Amino acid sequence: MSSETSETGKAGVIVAPNDASPMDKLAHSVLDDLLYNIVHDLLIKVHRDEKMARANTAAIRVEKLASEASDSSTPDAKPDVRIETEAAIYEDGQVLLKGNPLKTTKEIICPRCHLPRLLYPTDGKGAKKPAPGVVYCKKHPYIEKPGFDIYGQTWVAPGPGRGKKKKDMEKKLDGDSANSPAAGAESSAKDRPPNVLSYPSATCSKCKRCILVTRLNNHMGSCIGNSGRNASRAAAQKISNGGSNAGSQNNDNTPPGSQKGTPLPGSRAGSPRKRDGDEFDEDADESDPTNPKKKKLKPTPLPKKVILKTKAPTKKEKVKSTSMLNVEQKADDEISAVQVAPKKSTPKGPSPAKKIKPSSIPKPTMPSPAPKKSKRDRDLESESSGTLSSPPQ
Amino acid sequence: MAARPATPASPKNFKVQPPKPGQPVYGCEHLQRLLNQDQATTNTSIQHYKSILRSILDTTPILPQTAKLSEGQIVTSLTPTCLCLQCPMTLTEDDRNKHGNKKSHRFYVDSRSGALFCQMCDDIVWDPTFEDLRLKKVGTGTFSTGRKRKHDELFASDPLKESPQYISTNTTVASCKANGLRGIYNAGATCYQNVVLQSFLHNPVLRNFYLSDGHQSINCDTQHCLSCAMDDMFQDFYAVENTNGYTAANILSGFWISEKKAFENLVTTKEQDAHEFFQFLAEELHERNGDGKKPEIGSEHSCDCIIHQTFYGKLQSTTTCQHCGGVTNQVQSFLDLSLPLENLAQKKGKKGGAKAHTMTLQECLDEEYIKSDKCEYRCHNCNSMQQARRQTMIKRLPNVLAIQMKRFEYKQGRNERAAKIDTPVHFPLQLNMLPYTNRARTQDAKDNHELARSCTYDLLSVVVHVGEIDTGHYVSYCRVGDQWFAFNDHKVELAAKSDVLGARAYLLFYIIRSLA
Repeated sequence: MSSETSETGKAGVIVAPNDASPMDKLAHSVLDDLLYNIVHDLLIKVHRDEKMARANTAAIRVEKLASEASDSSTPDAKPDVRIETEAAIYEDGQVLLKGNPLKTTKEIICPRCHLPRLLYPTDGKGAKKPAPGVVYCKKHPYIEKPGFDIYGQTWVAPGPGRGKKKKDMEKKLDGDSANSPAAGAESSAKDRPPNVLSYPSATCSKCKRCILVTRLNNHMGSCIGNSGRNASRAAAQKISNGGSNAGSQNNDNTPPGSQKGTPLPGSRAGSPRKRDGDEFDEDADESDPTNPKKKKLKPTPLPKKVILKTKAPTKKEKVKSTSMLNVEQKADDEISAVQVAPKKSTPKGPSPAKKIKPSSIPKPTMPSPAPKKSKRDRDLESESSGTLSSPPQ
Repeated sequence: MAARPATPASPKNFKVQPPKPGQPVYGCEHLQRLLNQDQATTNTSIQHYKSILRSILDTTPILPQTAKLSEGQIVTSLTPTCLCLQCPMTLTEDDRNKHGNKKSHRFYVDSRSGALFCQMCDDIVWDPTFEDLRLKKVGTGTFSTGRKRKHDELFASDPLKESPQYISTNTTVASCKANGLRGIYNAGATCYQNVVLQSFLHNPVLRNFYLSDGHQSINCDTQHCLSCAMDDMFQDFYAVENTNGYTAANILSGFWISEKKAFENLVTTKEQDAHEFFQFLAEELHERNGDGKKPEIGSEHSCDCIIHQTFYGKLQSTTTCQHCGGVTNQVQSFLDLSLPLENLAQKKGKKGGAKAHTMTLQECLDEEYIKSDKCEYRCHNCNSMQQARRQTMIKRLPNVLAIQMKRFEYKQGRNERAAKIDTPVHFPLQLNMLPYTNRARTQDAKDNHELARSCTYDLLSVVVHVGEIDTGHYVSYCRVGDQWFAFNDHKVELAAKSDVLGARAYLLFYIIRSLA
């Protein structure tokens, strides 16, 4: 901008045509200067990181030589030696640079583990083969390769079946469309390359069962939350209160509209998404005999009692229900929180289940032993859950 | 420099940084010679460097950008100039050599960054002593370390614990591979949790809290404590070499077991709102770490727990009666700022036609925290219902500013439905919040660079919802250092700034610059 006639700025990239008006030239030179500043700032940042890393590398090297030269019995003490390398001098316990570290030092040593840093990614964009036989610092440059993560990992595609609906599969494929090496490969862990990972399993902190991670939320929903805690609590409370006022209370809490959602096979259309979730649940929890059976069995033998479950559909409509239901629901929750929640794992827990299930049903009264066990183990469990339930990986 | 002459006889003698292992003492041989001449040279050099930094960072840029050419002509340039370290001259890059040869002044400060240039190396040098001053000035706006600031208190600890001996005997060095970059497996429609957890994991304030044993799961006897689960998760991210995804089983079970009434709706196996989960997690962690009081909505709740220190700020709404002119102030705490998009989108749509109208974050903030709106209220002076103007502004800015774009709107009326607003909102990497604070109006802050700098935020993470309102997916972007990463459940990938800025953000997390 020093001369009024200049056609460009300091970078000299954005150049005004010769016949441009003075205003045009000014605009071009301002834009060019701004471009220069952007590049300047970027360069300073990169320069700083690189030069400091190399200067520190020079220092680490010469310090290492110094400590090797002196007796190694006192590693912390500053050895009283003078060591000189190409890049630095060690003297009186301090390191002085010799020349420009950008020229004297070619590699970068990790300041923490003192191993050389790998400077290029091993795969994907800009990849270079690392020199063989060199032990590098474990911090590697991140890999940029479609279909792989920053560590060069990829995942086996969730196979068809096993609770996966077509819809889910499509969604997954959209996201990982480039994930070709793993896609569709139903390979077992053995013939998989090491960078292809499968989904791990985790331990449910309540029942201590091992659940595949993708089903963990659903499992916990049924194991801890009983697929919507409202539902279980309300149901338990109503049953324990006896059938007399249960009917009226039920009407209070459940908006007429949502009763359509009663999970009878015939009324599926009423709340399709809810059913979807249940289907998923049933397929998913094959390893978990208690819940799906409860669900499957309840509707068929005693359709009348099933109305109790209608609390679950109301949750689906939470957006709509907030205005009209809030107060009543809250009040109800508070009661149930005080009275029912603690009893859930105490003898009261199994009792509603027994009430629902007539003795005519043969064996699937699984729910009763399960809660009893959990009651016994309760104290032990809760104390250890903090550490135990972390997934073994 | 001219604006603030350095005090000639400072009683304090400046010292170069003591030698640290793994680091040279000086930036280059020439600087070593300069700083080893005598104490007076060292004093003037450091003092002058400090005053140059002040003029670069605290005043209008026109001063350091104005240089005197060798012909005596004075020019102001957009591109960086060189400020001589040894005399009060500002030079252009072309004249630098001439000045150096004439006066034997060999060190210059870059007017854009404050970096030190050594003419004899013909390169920028990064000297530990000077660089420390520069970083302090850029970071906190002050050279002194002793001054108490609100975030200093956050990390205040007794001096014994600061000694290197104590640290080395009581800490474990994590592997160089453990860098906190791991995905989190989707446990079945839990991506709304994953994105919030990732934004917590890459929040330096929370990370430092948990990694410095702010909440030790060993010493906590609360059952299914979510804060313990967070502690375990931070350990697994920053201390373990594993690069596979993380299974947030404890968080999930803690969440299922939680007795939090306000968030009952969340506990289901369905897709949920990430913002609701953020609120849930924040309040739950507050209760585990804080005074145990439930934060009352709409009140001024102060607590020194980690969550309040991180996210909570204060809003002040001023209501002015249009009849008598009486003013009422009300202060309330906020966890995040919620910005409605619909009204503004409609307004813009009318103006700009039906074309894809875009908005900026600043426009949304203007709408909420600069403009005032009309309301009815009961005036104490007039003792009757009156028209009033109400204005809301920020009284205290938080360390980490969480912003929610209200993309999910529930329309009431005849055809009740919930809709997603997909309007793109441009958001900056760097956000100046000064205009939205009450300080912007009480004093002439226009020229106060220091104040503006203390209100500058840097983008930390972005949560994006893709898909429809009732079904979709959450992904997030988090910044680690200068590098952005995209988190899609268990998958972590590199992300370009353009990916981040092009995203249709739902939640934004900004961190205050002076902390970073």
